Amino acid sequence: MRVIGVFATPSTLEVMGLAQKLGGDALVFILNGGDEAAERAGRYGAGRVVLVDCGAMCDPAALYDAVAGELSGLTHLVFPATKDGKTIAGYVAGKLGVPNLVDVVDVLAPNKFSKYSMGSRGAEEVEVDGPVALVVQPKRFQPAEKPSKPAVERRRAAPIVELTGREEKAKGSLKIEDAELIVSVGRGFKKQEDLKLAMELAEVLGAQVGCSRPIAADLKWLSEDHWVGLSGHKVRPKMYMAIGISGQPQHIAGMLESRIVVAVNTDKNAPIFQYADYGVVEDLYKFIPVLKEKLRKALGK
Amino acid sequence: MNIVVLVKPALDTSNLRTAANKIMVEDTPLKISDIDRNAAEEAIRIKEKMKGGKTIAVMVSKYPPTPKRGGEAENLAREVLAMGIDEAILVIDDGLIGTDQTATAKAITEVVRKKVGQFDLVIGGEATIDGYSSQVPARIAAELGIPIITYVREISQVGSDSVVVKRDLEDEVQVVKSKLPAVITVTREINTPRIPPLLQIRMAMKKPLSKVSLGDLGLQVERRARTTDLKPLQIQRKKVLIESGTVDEKADKLIQYLSQEGVVTPR
Repeated sequence: MRVIGVFATPSTLEVMGLAQKLGGDALVFILNGGDEAAERAGRYGAGRVVLVDCGAMCDPAALYDAVAGELSGLTHLVFPATKDGKTIAGYVAGKLGVPNLVDVVDVLAPNKFSKYSMGSRGAEEVEVDGPVALVVQPKRFQPAEKPSKPAVERRRAAPIVELTGREEKAKGSLKIEDAELIVSVGRGFKKQEDLKLAMELAEVLGAQVGCSRPIAADLKWLSEDHWVGLSGHKVRPKMYMAIGISGQPQHIAGMLESRIVVAVNTDKNAPIFQYADYGVVEDLYKFIPVLKEKLRKALGK
Repeated sequence: MNIVVLVKPALDTSNLRTAANKIMVEDTPLKISDIDRNAAEEAIRIKEKMKGGKTIAVMVSKYPPTPKRGGEAENLAREVLAMGIDEAILVIDDGLIGTDQTATAKAITEVVRKKVGQFDLVIGGEATIDGYSSQVPARIAAELGIPIITYVREISQVGSDSVVVKRDLEDEVQVVKSKLPAVITVTREINTPRIPPLLQIRMAMKKPLSKVSLGDLGLQVERRARTTDLKPLQIQRKKVLIESGTVDEKADKLIQYLSQEGVVTPR
């Protein structure tokens, strides 16, 4: 019998989709979650739920000590590809001495997986012997409803490091990962005020605004929740429109699963055109206002 | 304060060599994984501030062919030595080819135990450019039984037995205090790595650089994950270029395509 250990927070419980795909019984460790999260895990077919109270922060070492007794005999361990999730995955897999695969995109067999590698420039197939830890984007495998009545118990994992402060990040309610349409901006914009060109276009389209690394991390013209890329957010919209973005590999890695990619750039040789379905070679300052007006009329807005 | 810096001789993913839809790992050049330069820079700054101790770069060569990679990795070690790192230790052994992060972490752990001895901090990058798995530093912490603090964008305080850092997460920044020794991973935002002047590059040639094998470390590695296929990732794009005509015509053309794709539905 395959028993799959799942580590998730209430907001990343969708990783249970991978446990469903693997088949077998799921033992779900919910970090800093309550009854509502346990119930949701039950809806996704959890066999057993352990609610782990991590305190102020989820410290991997404390978490491991709290659940170590439960981990022997698990065939697979599943973790969400969030920053905390990856850290916990590395620590737990390190303690258990099992290999771990990060950014799994498909299950080819219970011991064979495909994943991205080489900074999302390679597609790799990996075969493992024995137990394995799998780290996945939370929404990669959507779980189906298959209700169960799991036994629920509680544990405590008091951190060995101390959280002494917390700063909220400047952000709105934006969740760029969930956006259907994205208008994304890059260094082609010369001033922060000019971003309003893209914002107005986004409004007409009903799109969210994304950006490349320099706009969020260096210039700080937009908050980091807009940042699309390997270190930012990975997105899979119906349409991704890259405006004034040259197409550095780290940016491409964040948007390569978009269904349709549109690029607007003055430089005909910009790498972004190699990753686009439709490329417009034009000055964005001339093109975007015209496109916006035409779309406004066409869409009747 | 003794600081271990994790420096990966990584595949230069912007120069991947391919042939017949395979990535040719053996032909792809190596470079220092970008964020590891930030890790080295931070270690050097801490040492300067603490006025004492040393900084040791630990590198693990993972790619074939071993004889060629030895020389390449040595040159990369010289780059961080030129930045100001005091000493470099390179683990190189055919037994490491094709192994997963378990072996990398164990090799680094044994170098720390057997070659470094007393240490206060291990600093690495948040991810490497080729693997991008962010798993090795946490595994080292697990092996050594010490705290792991990842995604650090600022080290606010370093004392002789504790450290205060800012962790950059998706929704918040956490201020975390930990006792030492600990393992820390840093983000690109933490600093701007220095570019060493020529004189320092020459001086780096005299700094200690040693190569060790798995046998020297008394380590046997298991192979429990095998890469069965490695291809360049290809997402098919239409690559339709709209470059002729007036701005108006280009906009009309794009709207026409977007309608055909069902992205917009004009009335």
